[in-house]
Amino acid sequence: MALYLIDKPKGEIALKMASLDSEAVIVLIQDGVYLDPDAYGKFKEVYAIEHDVVRRGIKEKIKDRARIIDYHELVNIILKHEKIINFA
Amino acid sequence: MAEKKVVVMITHPPFGSIYYTEGLRAAVGVTSGIDEHTVDVLLLGDGVYYALNNVDRKDSAKYIQTLTGINSSIYAEEESLKERGINSKELSPFVRVISRKEALRLLLDANHTIDF
Repeated sequence: MALYLIDKPKGEIALKMASLDSEAVIVLIQDGVYLDPDAYGKFKEVYAIEHDVVRRGIKEKIKDRARIIDYHELVNIILKHEKIINFA
Repeated sequence: MAEKKVVVMITHPPFGSIYYTEGLRAAVGVTSGIDEHTVDVLLLGDGVYYALNNVDRKDSAKYIQTLTGINSSIYAEEESLKERGINSKELSPFVRVISRKEALRLLLDANHTIDF
């Protein structure tokens, strides 16, 4: 099961690629929180970093499409995955 | 350290930034030393513009020469090429075209991926 860490500049190609992976777990980070993964496919889990969401004022907007996590949770999620593919 | 399989992804177009040339330089760097890591380069998104045959490679030809000389592959993702209207006749001979699905398999099978 691979974890895809995604920021906006590489977001489109990252989500297109991850959409082919039925086990993909997505983490939206920095400007990546502006992305809408639903537009690219169905993903097993989608997370967004709270710090990045709150600073951009989109917590309400994003909460239906991603689970909001802090950096401690991000570290735990990273440690649970053997494969991390960085698009951030 | 045991031998690792590494994939360097390049998602930025050539010129206007140092990403593509630094990515290629890093790919060469991965192969140096005594660990004998293997490395492939994957051109994705706007990174596929580097695959065009007529790109000026004054600053990067030495990296391509080194990588192809040690049997590293330079892949370009087919869907990214199509989305940008690039056909196979326009590509450099050293570029191998692979589908998005094959590109994903390459990433999943690698021990490490590095993005530029």
